[in-house]
Amino acid sequence: MLYFIHLLKLWIIQVRYAITRELAFRANFFAWVIVELAWFVLQLAFVGVVYQHVDSVAGWNRYEMIVLVATNQLIQQIFTAFLMPGLVKLPDLVRTGGLDFLLLKPAPPQFLVSTSSLEIGPLANAGIALIVVLSALHSLAITPTLSATFTYLLLILAGLFVHYALLLALVSFTFWIVQAESVLLGYYSIFQVARLPREATRGWFRVIFTFAIPLLLVANVPASVLIRNAKITPILLFLGTSLSAALLASLFFYLGLRRYQSASS
Amino acid sequence: MTAALRALPTVFSIGLQRQLAYRWNYLLRALFSAVPLLVSWVFWEAVFQGKETVGRYTLAGLLTYYAVLLIVEAVSSPADDDFQISREIREGMLNPILLRPLPYGLYRGALFLSGRCAYLVAAFIPVFLCFFILSRVVHLELASFDILRGLPALFGSALLQFSLTLCLSLTSFWFLDISSLIFLVYSLEFLAGGHVFPLDLLPAPLFTAARLLPFAYEYWFPAAALCGTLSHREWQIGIGMQFAWAIFFLFLAHLLWKAGLRKYTAAGG
Repeated sequence: MLYFIHLLKLWIIQVRYAITRELAFRANFFAWVIVELAWFVLQLAFVGVVYQHVDSVAGWNRYEMIVLVATNQLIQQIFTAFLMPGLVKLPDLVRTGGLDFLLLKPAPPQFLVSTSSLEIGPLANAGIALIVVLSALHSLAITPTLSATFTYLLLILAGLFVHYALLLALVSFTFWIVQAESVLLGYYSIFQVARLPREATRGWFRVIFTFAIPLLLVANVPASVLIRNAKITPILLFLGTSLSAALLASLFFYLGLRRYQSASS
Repeated sequence: MTAALRALPTVFSIGLQRQLAYRWNYLLRALFSAVPLLVSWVFWEAVFQGKETVGRYTLAGLLTYYAVLLIVEAVSSPADDDFQISREIREGMLNPILLRPLPYGLYRGALFLSGRCAYLVAAFIPVFLCFFILSRVVHLELASFDILRGLPALFGSALLQFSLTLCLSLTSFWFLDISSLIFLVYSLEFLAGGHVFPLDLLPAPLFTAARLLPFAYEYWFPAAALCGTLSHREWQIGIGMQFAWAIFFLFLAHLLWKAGLRKYTAAGG
């Protein structure tokens, strides 16, 4: 328990440092908020164009689809704020030998790699995504109950685990492939699956992205909790698969770490 | 100038060797670029449930567009040229390049070309597989495939993307970090370039506005030209707009380079 408190203290120090750094480069901070917002507008514009031609996609109407897309954005932005900046630096650390400095520190390497960098800007976009969710729910005339809100928040956390597992696994390839910058492209490409309504999928695609890489559950299950009072089975399935995915990704990271050879002299 | 032109094949060869040294990176990139096609397939199949057409597209026509987009991307999209140029300027690595009797634009052009060649080799199998798998499931509309109009549009797209990348990267003379600018333009390219959906699915006024911007000529126009869905008149206007934008950005890049060099401080040995 004391060990976890120690890690929490370390993390809080890093958050404080990140806030100070972000506020030192305010123009950059606002530029990134606009960039992320532009990508979100792009997704909403896509929904707008599709629903100009149809009334429903796989049983999801326009506003339900907006809840799905905005929930996905909410999870992605929280992940981008707290965990992604550290993880994407791993390929560079391995190539340059900079990982040595992290390995010498008295904390678990996975923790240090995951939390060594933070960005505060995406949190502003997470706030915007939440406003879009609430606004779409208002258009659907839905007021979430307290238990639905609590379950939604818990599932957001589970969604973060899936994002984390996927990116950790992808960046861990860097221990085998010298230049692995394309894994970031892979992360963004694969995560497009999370924006699909689960009902739109079938066959092997549905099985793989539900059980092996549970991307189809990341935004679908939390959005369904708000819109349709989702059953307990998919909720438990999602919690179980997200934890398993995070554990497997962690094992893969440590497997790769055993191959690490310092690049410095 | 003749000496500069003689040096280009060497720059191309060095660039190619550098790219092929990281062939796994390229192969992964090519594999991952096929994922959006898979997602589009699943999503649009659901959209087309009980409908024959959406806008002017059938499901097969739409999937053909997305598949052709993979070819356009492989041929014309820069990989990380923008970040490379930005790093060269920011970290003072321009010094050795400035000493060579080789214009920087031509030097970067040769490297861009080598990058595209390496990527094409890596992307060939994934793109071929995508076409093969898709053609087993839907009847791809390849009968109207128009190589004669498609190839100039592809070349124009590569030139436009290269010149736009050059302009964006050269702003590094004035800004410390341009990654936010690069990603902002990426998002515009995706939306207004027809990467997320064919631009002719937009309402008519927005479609007209999109065709005035350069982004439409990066993806939508070459893909539509290859698919053979443009009339000859539309193609003529499109190719004119595409090359006009490319020349505009090349000229702008030239001005940025001249102005930037006056501001550049060479540091280190």
